[in-house]
Amino acid sequence: MTAYDTIVIGAGLAGLIAALRHAEQGQRVLLLAKGYGTTHWTAGCIDVLDAPETGDDPSAAIEALTVCHPTHPYASAGLANLVAALDRLRALCEAANYPLVGDLRRNVRLPTAVGALRPTCLLPAVMAAGDARQLPRAGSVHGTLVAGFRELRDFFPPLLAANLAVQGYAAQGAYLELPPTGRKRDFTSLTLARLFDQPEFRAHVGRQLRRLVKQNGYSHIALPAVLGLEHAPEVVRDLQAAAGALVFEVPTLPPSVPGIRLLRVLERAVIQAGGRLQIGAFVTQAKGRDGRLESVSTAAAARQQRHHAERFVLATGGIAGGGLRAEPSGELRETALGLPVRAPEHRAAWFSPRVFDGAGHPAFRAGVAVDRRFRPLDLADGVAYTNVVVIGAALAGVDPVREACLEGLALATAWAASDIG
Amino acid sequence: MGAGDFIERSLTQSLDHCIKCNICTTVCPVAAVADLFPGPKYVGPQAQRFRRADQPVPDVSVDYCSGCRACNMACPTGVHIAELNARARAQIVAEQGLPLRNRLIARSELIGRLGNGPHAPIANWALRQPLMRRTVEYALGIAREAPLPAFSASTFRAWFRRRERQMQPARRATQSRRQVVYFHGCATNYYEPHVGKAAVAALERNGFEVILAKQNCCGLPLISNGDFATARRYHEANVRKLLPYVRQGIPIVGTSTSCTLTLKEEAPAILGLDGPDVRLVSAHVYDIFEFLCELADRGELNTDFRPVECMLPYHPPCQLRAHRIGLPAVDVLALVPGLRLVESHADCCGIAGTYGLKREKYQIGMDVGAQLFAFIRDSGSDLALCDSETCRWQITHGSDVATQHPIEILAEAYGEE
Ligand code: SF4
Ligand code: SF4
Repeated sequence: MTAYDTIVIGAGLAGLIAALRHAEQGQRVLLLAKGYGTTHWTAGCIDVLDAPETGDDPSAAIEALTVCHPTHPYASAGLANLVAALDRLRALCEAANYPLVGDLRRNVRLPTAVGALRPTCLLPAVMAAGDARQLPRAGSVHGTLVAGFRELRDFFPPLLAANLAVQGYAAQGAYLELPPTGRKRDFTSLTLARLFDQPEFRAHVGRQLRRLVKQNGYSHIALPAVLGLEHAPEVVRDLQAAAGALVFEVPTLPPSVPGIRLLRVLERAVIQAGGRLQIGAFVTQAKGRDGRLESVSTAAAARQQRHHAERFVLATGGIAGGGLRAEPSGELRETALGLPVRAPEHRAAWFSPRVFDGAGHPAFRAGVAVDRRFRPLDLADGVAYTNVVVIGAALAGVDPVREACLEGLALATAWAASDIG
Repeated sequence: MGAGDFIERSLTQSLDHCIKCNICTTVCPVAAVADLFPGPKYVGPQAQRFRRADQPVPDVSVDYCSGCRACNMACPTGVHIAELNARARAQIVAEQGLPLRNRLIARSELIGRLGNGPHAPIANWALRQPLMRRTVEYALGIAREAPLPAFSASTFRAWFRRRERQMQPARRATQSRRQVVYFHGCATNYYEPHVGKAAVAALERNGFEVILAKQNCCGLPLISNGDFATARRYHEANVRKLLPYVRQGIPIVGTSTSCTLTLKEEAPAILGLDGPDVRLVSAHVYDIFEFLCELADRGELNTDFRPVECMLPYHPPCQLRAHRIGLPAVDVLALVPGLRLVESHADCCGIAGTYGLKREKYQIGMDVGAQLFAFIRDSGSDLALCDSETCRWQITHGSDVATQHPIEILAEAYGEE
């Protein structure tokens, strides 16, 4: 019944930060999302842009992009909005005792769960010691211990270590014994994170790490990113103190604990700022008049629930996030508001014949086209709704995963679009 | 194609939407505390691949699902996990039979009828005796500590009928323009008539004539204990009884948020009941605050409130969240001067209807609820609000704080005693 100033659709980073911004501006904000998503899938780092051509400087790469690809969403958002959004996020995380580190002028490469090195810009402090520049190279007196638990599926220390070794790093893998927990059956990343929040559990792990460090002189220890849900910095500090080596987290397969930590920080902030979240709300219908969106409806038991607002923010993501969907008819559809999607004309042109084509696949650049104020355009380049903005991976003309800009794009466009009245 | 086939197909298709992300597992309150329960993804879309009508049940751990639906709310692809689990449990029951205990607690109406009446004080006294509770636990598997409600000496229906007879014809005449059917459910009728009285008061203050239609238990306890055959009979009986009213466009309003959810969606979807009558009834059912909220939207809500100066902790129960209608009680009560609700943001109280009563699940229920109990206790308030009766009993049991249905506060704001 409440008439909202702004309704945000989507609970990924873009939607959450947009909801927070609007709520902090004193607006009445409702965030609708069909469920959780990217926060649970992604690594919990802030990728801004892969920048091999500018010496790993993403800010310089964005400046360059603005000149040579003026239609790229970063060009419309502008660097200043990215900086402001990053600052806000950093302050939030800092206040929540989950600090982020990093520098917009320098990307860091972090090992993934298979030992590949992945560029990112801001990262949780608990991953900082994984910066590949700092990891001991082969032949040095030190080395990196990659440790894990057999009980955690899909995280293989020997594989990770072997792939680091191939790239010239001194690394060895080992399985640790799971401390006694009373649990016998199933361990997800989140189960382990909750266990690490308990001091006795991590003390037991710390003792095992200490033995291994003493035997082999490791200077670094990589562990799966399950080192606490609520108290990660404390867990890492305790483990480092016990082991006598630097400890860092390596993101796991979903569910991503670092992503969930970010989600919790942001959710709490939105609520504290007076915003409301309604998760489990599928937007199924949009009603507009005279170029304005008047309401959206979400699926509810026995009927639809109508929501009215002055302004709407679409932050539903791209193909992976579920904001775009391929129909059996061979069309890509924007799922919430039914906005026109810019995509290759024929299905045959969606994918390059080579899976690992350096230029990526055209389908992943599909999305909603917007004007400079992030308002959605129809296929004749007219503004479809004057009171709607589209942000994040739902936007056309960017392949966020391949460009390694998923989170930066979300933040910059959310911030930019919320400044434009 | 029959209605059942259609629902079956939508469940099967939703299975194919699972992308194995495990988001559901991260929000499942039972998986968080119970080693025995591997979580929604495993017992739901994963195990479903191995469930066939003509084959034995592959995995009984699904019985530990409390049916709270937190998983459905979080799943990004719309898999109907809780429904799959409910059906899987029914398959186990069909194969292995329903234990006596479950058969008993699923019949809330029967129990209510037995304990209700002039002998209620004796029944209540007996159920408070440790020896009695130990015997009940031993014989029936109902945890001795579990929160059982107290029977009322007189039913809500009896009160309503008495009042109807006493009411002056003049007052009735002025109310005849707008009508609603009140669905009270078993809890209000046998244990908490005061909730029904508050609902009647609030509806009448808004100019509605409240009709006490014939009705029976919504059947949710049967659904969640896997006795689908009886549950189907219950729902069909309710549809028959309510149909004459909804055909005239009269809405059905309930205070038990789990009853209204069952009438709207649970019974049709889980039991595979469909058809124009079932749908018509479903489309006319409202949770009471949803109904009042819609009145407010149209500017028709009576907002002649007197101030209620307090801040109260409020827990939107899982069953209310499963309506997917936001927080109508918060929205309506925000209009009462002085009153502020503080939302719990806790997952679940752990009771999940009859789940937390069971000997083998009592502790799981208490562990699930721990976060909520702490929130309620820490609020410092001596009263907490919640829309579901079993959750209220559990909250009081776990936190020692008294509980009310939000409609009782609204009635108070209207000046009702
Ligand atoms: S959240 Fe949904 S899609 Fe993800 S594993 Fe659970 S059922 Fe499957
Ligand atoms: S309904 Fe509740 S208890 Fe059952 S699997 Fe889903 S989240 Fe877990």
